[in-house]
Amino acid sequence: MIKTDVIIIGGGSTGCGIARDLALRGIAHHLIEKGDFAAGATGACHGLLHSGGRYAVSDPEAAKECIRENMILRKIGEKCVEQTGGLFVRLAGDSRRYRDRFLESCDAVGIDTELLSAGKAMDLVPKLNPSLEEAVRVPDCSIDPFRLCMLNAITSKNRGGVFHRHHEVFEFIKEKGRLAGVRARDRFTGEVLELRARVIINASGAWGKKIANLAGHDLPMTLSKGSLVITNHRLTNLVINRLRPPSNGDIIVPNEAVCLAGTTSISVDNPDNLVVGADEVDIVTREAGRMIPEFNSTRLIRAYTGVRPLLLAEGDATDDRSVSRGFRIINHQDGMYSILGGKLSTYRLMAEKMVDTVLKEVFEKTVPCQTADLPLEGQEYLSGYPLSKRLRDMKDIICECELVTRKDVESVIDRIGTKSIGDIQHRTRLGMGPCQGGFCTYRALGIIQEKGKITCDESMGALREFLQKRFRGIRPALWGDQLREEQLVEGIYLNIMNMEQQ
Amino acid sequence: MKTENYDTVIVGGGISGLMAAIDLTRKGKRVAVVSKGDPVCCLSTGCIDILKGVDSPMESICDLPENHPYHLVGTGGIDRAAGLFLSVMEEAGLSYVGNTAQNRYILSPGGTRKQTALVPESMAHGDMEENETLNVITFKGMKDFFPGYVTAKFKNAEVYEFDPGIGSTLGIATKFDDPVFREAFVSWFKSQGISGGKIAMPAVLGTKPRVFGELARELDRKIFEIPTLPPSIPGLRMFKALKTCLQDSGVDLYWGRAVKSVEKDDDAIEAVTLAGMGRSTRIEGRSFILATGSFVSGGLYARQDGVVKESVFDLPAHVPGNRESWFGHNFFETGHGIEKAGIRVNKWFQPEDTGIPNLFVCGSILAFSETMKYGCGHGMAIATGVAAAEKCEEYLA
Repeated sequence: MIKTDVIIIGGGSTGCGIARDLALRGIAHHLIEKGDFAAGATGACHGLLHSGGRYAVSDPEAAKECIRENMILRKIGEKCVEQTGGLFVRLAGDSRRYRDRFLESCDAVGIDTELLSAGKAMDLVPKLNPSLEEAVRVPDCSIDPFRLCMLNAITSKNRGGVFHRHHEVFEFIKEKGRLAGVRARDRFTGEVLELRARVIINASGAWGKKIANLAGHDLPMTLSKGSLVITNHRLTNLVINRLRPPSNGDIIVPNEAVCLAGTTSISVDNPDNLVVGADEVDIVTREAGRMIPEFNSTRLIRAYTGVRPLLLAEGDATDDRSVSRGFRIINHQDGMYSILGGKLSTYRLMAEKMVDTVLKEVFEKTVPCQTADLPLEGQEYLSGYPLSKRLRDMKDIICECELVTRKDVESVIDRIGTKSIGDIQHRTRLGMGPCQGGFCTYRALGIIQEKGKITCDESMGALREFLQKRFRGIRPALWGDQLREEQLVEGIYLNIMNMEQQ
Repeated sequence: MKTENYDTVIVGGGISGLMAAIDLTRKGKRVAVVSKGDPVCCLSTGCIDILKGVDSPMESICDLPENHPYHLVGTGGIDRAAGLFLSVMEEAGLSYVGNTAQNRYILSPGGTRKQTALVPESMAHGDMEENETLNVITFKGMKDFFPGYVTAKFKNAEVYEFDPGIGSTLGIATKFDDPVFREAFVSWFKSQGISGGKIAMPAVLGTKPRVFGELARELDRKIFEIPTLPPSIPGLRMFKALKTCLQDSGVDLYWGRAVKSVEKDDDAIEAVTLAGMGRSTRIEGRSFILATGSFVSGGLYARQDGVVKESVFDLPAHVPGNRESWFGHNFFETGHGIEKAGIRVNKWFQPEDTGIPNLFVCGSILAFSETMKYGCGHGMAIATGVAAAEKCEEYLA
């Protein structure tokens, strides 16, 4: 049994942000995550660090938080934020009055805007639909959510924070009517971990309700599935938004060598085992294609879906997008707090408020928050964008798509002693390019095995698991060149490697 | 623009098209082969899989669904094709073992026994049981072969590492072509004191035929190759043997050239024009064979709207339902719907519903071939390649 001050449930941006904040304020904590870092909504979003423009008209409060956090994150997270800038493009048929309201609202909440003619916009993003009317420039950024979580975790670990990944909470320990701790099961070994703390923070996002139910509570939240696609090219250097009230498929975000586009919005009951429908892929590519026509002919390398945990508004909410994107902290009055709602862009603010609350109400003290002032620790190991920075040491390339060398892979294994392919992917971008790990995962697992971190049997098991997961992501986008590549990958693993199900 | 004239123009330079070309050339026809580039078989194991999951391919062909293209060839045709293939390989100095009546096994890079029918001599000793002693020789820095995946299945396995000074598959294989390098390797090998059991190496033992034979003699042990991830040296050797055979018989090869346009006279195809670097070539033919392969090689192209297009002649292609039905949810299960896509042909291998009298279709572009599911890719390629050539010859007569 382990005793600590705070237990955090959930290793998404909120949970990792809370861990970093607690660490910087000197509070001991353990974090429990049932999967890997950023396995929920955090890792399945656009990777858009909002300027706030998207919320300026409908939710000025959220917009204000966005722009403030945007300015903070670009300062503290240099290596996981790319300062791309963004455009809101108005296409033929999009309301001009909405544009006026948009400009006024941005101005009111302090978002810098610049109205650009169609020609100026095309100069910035040559692949834009030439029939656009005009565009508004805003300070959007692209952010790597995996790195963000990892870097927050590093600050925590540097100060004694402990992370239990792949542990699922299955029971709360109750004593004298209070929640005294949790029991979690290691999903690989089945071993049970018992943790006790003065306070438990439920930061499990879309799984928040499940966790609350386990403790005998309910949460006023609703789930909305959003699906996205990834192209094999970086079709734009700026974030592209559609200048209209938020709708399907109206955001395109450049991310390193690729582009992400989304999303859809469909109410769901269960956050697990979601699949992307062929119709969702068609909707997203069609809408993205209106802003950047090349979207209709470019190869998609993957589709994925995430679940937004949304705050249920008072009364009836009919449209998921009209539900507030703000966040709320709920004190369950029995030693547990839940933090729900919110978004990646405001994760730091959410963590700050959460830690302020437990410090005041549980620990009865005030320690100033430092998360906005200190840079994220551990960034010195990251390559950052652009890709050309990685060209210096071209010898022995393991992942041709993302130019990851054997040395890069080996140094991650040596530094953090990992045996997980996910850890290497998130730190080096191995397998995130057009072939989606079809060639390099075999190699990377071979290297982990050579280094003695896993057995031969484990490397084969991990390869199988990876291939199935990869297929799940690729399946909704299988046509054209991606289908070609998929059949080649099938040929390699099912025919040459003879890995077909016997 | 230059115009050439042939009895048969074959579009597609994979095993199927090359085998069709060899068959027609040997029957005295004037043949041209057009290919966009080197074929997909260069990525394969180099073995000829005829039908997997059965002891005897020949006895089990009859159990395939009735629309499977193998039925158009018949077991006699498959045997004739296999015989032709084996003799061409023999002449090239790239001996194969095995036959169509009995499947055999090679050791896969996943450490499992992989079933196949015709096997290059270099993999002949690859049928390993898990309780046998296995020695694996691996090459330092080689990124497409990791012995751990192989040895996991074996109780008695030893790994020895040789440093070839280069990490790429093709790079190591090219080094083995050099007798001086081979000599250094042989003396290293003899210094290792490798005890009993067979000796496996990734398939890098020379890009040329006969290198393996010489090495096996010098090492004087039971050695064999394990196929690697692409590029595959055994696949490359096989392709080069077929291509060389055609070059030696004076067949015109239009390599690196794509068909840009097709001319028709009434229903019959009259000529194709090839794109090239700043030049076009028009090729007339009395007959044409389409052997462009399936999706991977680009013979077929699947569109987002659920339509499958044939790339050269725009033939109507069979599509197995809408996009959602193309793939199942399990990567490790073969038999995805999309495997049935392709060109439907009549018993003369002419495309159905087109009325084109002088076009014959062969290889994995044929509808219902399901080559992954039945493990019949190269077998189908040689069998339908030769069979379509036979029908084409009948037409020319």
